[in-house]
Amino acid sequence: MSIALKELWRQPQRFLPVWVALTLLVVLLVILAGFLDGLSRSQTGPYRAYDGDVFVLSDDANLQVQRSRVSADALTDQGLDDVADVGFLDAAFTVAAVEGTATGNTSSDNSDDGTNLQDVALYGYSMSSSVLPHAPDAGEVVVDKQLTRQIDVEVGDRLVLGPSAEPMTVAAIVDDLSAGAPTLWVNGDEWRRLVGTINPALLPPSGQHLALIAQPGADIKASTVVEQVDQIDGLEAADVADMIGALSVVQQQNATFTAIIGVTFVVSLLVVALFFALITLEQTRLYAVFKALGATTRELLTGISVQAVVLTLIALAVGMAISAVLVAALPPTLPVRVLPTRLLEVAVGLLVTSVIGGLLTARRLLRIDPASSIG
Amino acid sequence: MSALDLKDVRKVYGDGDQKVVALDNVSLSVADNEMLFIMGPSGSGKTTLLTVAGGLLQATSGSVVVGGTDISGFDGRELAAFRRDRIGFVFQAVNLVPFLTARENLLLVRQFGGGKIDTDARDRADSLLTDLGLADRAGNLPSQLSGGQQQRVAIGRALMNEPPLVLVDEPTSSLDSELGQQVMELLTKEIKSRGLAAVVVTHDDRILDFADRIVQIVDGKLTSDSSDNSSASPSGR
Ligand SMILES: Nc1ncnc2c1ncn2[C@@H]1O[C@H](COP(=O)(O)OP(=O)(O)O)[C@@H](O)[C@H]1O
Ligand SMILES: [Mg+2]
Repeated sequence: MSIALKELWRQPQRFLPVWVALTLLVVLLVILAGFLDGLSRSQTGPYRAYDGDVFVLSDDANLQVQRSRVSADALTDQGLDDVADVGFLDAAFTVAAVEGTATGNTSSDNSDDGTNLQDVALYGYSMSSSVLPHAPDAGEVVVDKQLTRQIDVEVGDRLVLGPSAEPMTVAAIVDDLSAGAPTLWVNGDEWRRLVGTINPALLPPSGQHLALIAQPGADIKASTVVEQVDQIDGLEAADVADMIGALSVVQQQNATFTAIIGVTFVVSLLVVALFFALITLEQTRLYAVFKALGATTRELLTGISVQAVVLTLIALAVGMAISAVLVAALPPTLPVRVLPTRLLEVAVGLLVTSVIGGLLTARRLLRIDPASSIG
Repeated sequence: MSALDLKDVRKVYGDGDQKVVALDNVSLSVADNEMLFIMGPSGSGKTTLLTVAGGLLQATSGSVVVGGTDISGFDGRELAAFRRDRIGFVFQAVNLVPFLTARENLLLVRQFGGGKIDTDARDRADSLLTDLGLADRAGNLPSQLSGGQQQRVAIGRALMNEPPLVLVDEPTSSLDSELGQQVMELLTKEIKSRGLAAVVVTHDDRILDFADRIVQIVDGKLTSDSSDNSSASPSGR
């Protein structure tokens, strides 16, 4: 109803409080959603590296790579015609630094340890993917972008790994593949050699890996391969989404952030509902006049909904612009990632929330007596 | 057919100890083209009578027939449509919409009930404003208008939907004597020239000359045989 919009344009100061509140809530929601997606992403790089492929673990591992041990030839001679290629994945945590900057073996240099030695996840792999190049040669390492945000490192630089400072040359830098820490990628033999110097106890028995990765053939769905591999004794398979979903850290983060985001939506609902309840109280006389002149409660309610929607749309536009500036200003090491689909969810969620908040005035509007406009 | 027919109308507010009989078996007929004034002390039931006649409240008992339509059984939605199409209200408190211009205040009543503002509506609003001497004030907000101008906008709004019956509550209560006369002259001219019926509630005896007929109300009862200004229109002044 255009009367409602005229009220909005001509008396903007009356709507300023709720508009400001909504704008701040948009910023909060976008940042929270950004952390939700950023944190989850920062834990799941190795899975995203093999997007579309199938992870094969031992069936007692509960889809946790660290707990799994699989024989290297577990998938050979199984007649898996739908599998185009099989690779493996091994993982261990260690530390790394640019050569010459890590002087952490004398006690006087403790402060340097903290700043230059980075926790990293060291992966051994064999199969390239859309993200990962072919496994590098001995003495070479592929690093992900996250490490370059933490220390100054370029292709050709030399890193030292582990307590014995094994020197490695950076062969390539790939997209962010963080797994709670920056990731370094070497070939399988190098991984065994390096982990042997870091902590031999972490080495799987010879001929075994933590996980195998099966690449489905052309036009074959990952789910088909998962079903086939699950038939094999001692193995459990999962696609990337299920692997990520099984990560307890991701589950906890998702649960926490979903709860905070839910509470934020409830707060938005209360803000809008309270505001329009106040407006209605303030304008009881005016609404009574509208009714006396022939307006129905439904028309008044439509007017309030239109106001709620327009206010929310403006708040969304401004709030998202502010969020964009804020996110750009955040240090790159913070795991914030703003996904367009998530923005759409925030927008739709907030619009629905404000319309409901506006509609909560229905009872109040219904009770307004047109007779109170007179006398 | 008369513009308004009230038969044995009772209106009781509250119940038990709180019970107030605001209208006590009121029967009243207003002819088409008649301007009826209702006079009475404060609390006598004048406003209640307008409220019931205009479909703002349902009578407790009795029948209310407006232009041949019995509204006694109407529900809220039917009453809203009835008020929009058949009744023009001029409120005591003027009640203009503060964020709408004079012209928009007139057009307002066209928008309710899913109506559209068409050329017809715009033309009517403009000609009403011109008639009321407000042509150059059409774009002003109520806060930019004087009390008399606001009252004239309210008259224009009441006439906007071409209602056969206009109900006017204390039109001069917030105006000084001279302005009150001017507003009454305009109101009478607009109503008479359109051949409408009007019920005007007042306790301002300086404007009684504008009445075709005057009815007294006391304690919710009409006193019979009210005085009759037989001249159809007031002598101009
Ligand atoms: N909404 C209401 N609830 C209860 N009593 C009312 C209400 N409106 C009016 N009355 C009572 O009905 C009587 C008539 O009131 P009203 O019609 O407003 O008189 P008037 O307009 O002549 O001053 C008064 O006694 C008044 O107190
Ligand atoms: Mg009164």
